[in-house]
Amino acid sequence: MTNAVETKEGALILDSHKLSCHYDRVQAWEAGERIAPVSVDMSLTRACGAMCSFCYAMMQESQSRSSIKVQDALNLADDFAEIGIRSVSLVSDGESTLSKAYVPFIQHLSSLGIDVANATNAWEWEAEKVDQILPHMTWIRFTVAAGRPESYAKIMYKGPEHTEVFDRAIKNIKYAVDLKKKLGLKVTLGIQMVLMPELKDEIIPFAKLGVDLGVDYAVIKHCSDDESGSLGIDYSQYEPLYDLLTQAEAMSNDQTKVIVKWNKIKDGDKPSYKRFYGPQFLLQISGSGLVAPSGMFFNARYSKLHIGNFTEERFKDIWKSERYWRAMNYLASPNFDAQTMMGTLPIQHYISTALDNHAKGIQRINPNEGKNPLHHNFL
Amino acid sequence: MNKQLENAVLDSPTPSKKWREMSHDDRKTFLNDILKQRSDFYENFEVAHAKDDGQVIVKMMRALNPSERGTLLLDLEELFKLEIDQGINLWAEALGDKNSLRNLRGIEVKHD
Repeated sequence: MTNAVETKEGALILDSHKLSCHYDRVQAWEAGERIAPVSVDMSLTRACGAMCSFCYAMMQESQSRSSIKVQDALNLADDFAEIGIRSVSLVSDGESTLSKAYVPFIQHLSSLGIDVANATNAWEWEAEKVDQILPHMTWIRFTVAAGRPESYAKIMYKGPEHTEVFDRAIKNIKYAVDLKKKLGLKVTLGIQMVLMPELKDEIIPFAKLGVDLGVDYAVIKHCSDDESGSLGIDYSQYEPLYDLLTQAEAMSNDQTKVIVKWNKIKDGDKPSYKRFYGPQFLLQISGSGLVAPSGMFFNARYSKLHIGNFTEERFKDIWKSERYWRAMNYLASPNFDAQTMMGTLPIQHYISTALDNHAKGIQRINPNEGKNPLHHNFL
Repeated sequence: MNKQLENAVLDSPTPSKKWREMSHDDRKTFLNDILKQRSDFYENFEVAHAKDDGQVIVKMMRALNPSERGTLLLDLEELFKLEIDQGINLWAEALGDKNSLRNLRGIEVKHD
């Protein structure tokens, strides 16, 4: 396995992919079969109480929103199990902890044997909710934009004076860290900073906060932007930060690993691949209920790649439809160029790079013959 | 063997000289005429931009379900490619974020 960080609980891969653990699907894809995604990344709502300056959800408005009811979510979980999806991450384009479906959906997925994960700001993630979901989770990643309260409040909320949001998040994260220890849970808890180049002064305080909290990891990643540069990210400005990022990594200890997603940061704004094979393995669903191959295509601009809405029809029927496969085949055809027709560094970036290298014969994907890394069902 | 794998090394089609040398208005008229000919499917569609690099933006005057709009737009792109230029890429008009809190950031989705 490449780019694994050894932790007390096993090998942790955040800056690469785990397709080798799903070689059966890779073989089926290579044979031209219509495969079920290994993983789905989704949200239960488009709503969010935060206003992060780096938030890609600002670019993901589709034509209309549907409210995801508890029963819609439970049906979705059943459909995932039926078609063979192995993991679900609640990240995507909204704060899923705000949804009434949050707890029952997680519990139901877990009962079906599907691994579940969540990224959250933890603002509305109080003890009652945590108690009900933590034993069912494979990982939880907290969005922590900065290590200092004022900076955190400035980046994630209305201004530096609103440090109450930082205090609330930290209190809830600490509760989860303690509960994990108390119950001996296997869940991995991490914090994530989305690094915009102008936030360089937050790198070291963020790493320190991760160590102080005693979470399992503190990860620093690039910021995605759309192909028109709506967020104004200057990817050439990451390189001057390499020394600071290396210093941050050196703050790792036995309990907390500080990890930089070097591959994504160095890949910048232009992928090596033209065809976008990744969504066939890792599908994204919007908190509006929209099923589209990738979050990169949630905006109404990409309506031609909109496949369906799982609140209007069952997901298993969407997956079986010609519409689904037409969109996937389009992304794998010369009509689509990932270098010019979508935003930067999508969630499917690592697997798309690997599948493209596999297709070109540059580097074949081989089956994993060793012990599976942590979270192996999350690509 | 999956034929998709062979596509990994192929270049995407680019617009012809004829397309690039047409005026923006002529390109729009050309495309809108095709929409009129297919008004049974596309009466609520209008071409808003037709750029020399092949990017064509259509306006949908009526909201369509995702189960309809994807197919209609992919069909339309195929039609434009077949009848006008292989280098055409069809997009719909972009939408800005409807989240009022996030909107306080003042980020606007660019349309280019």
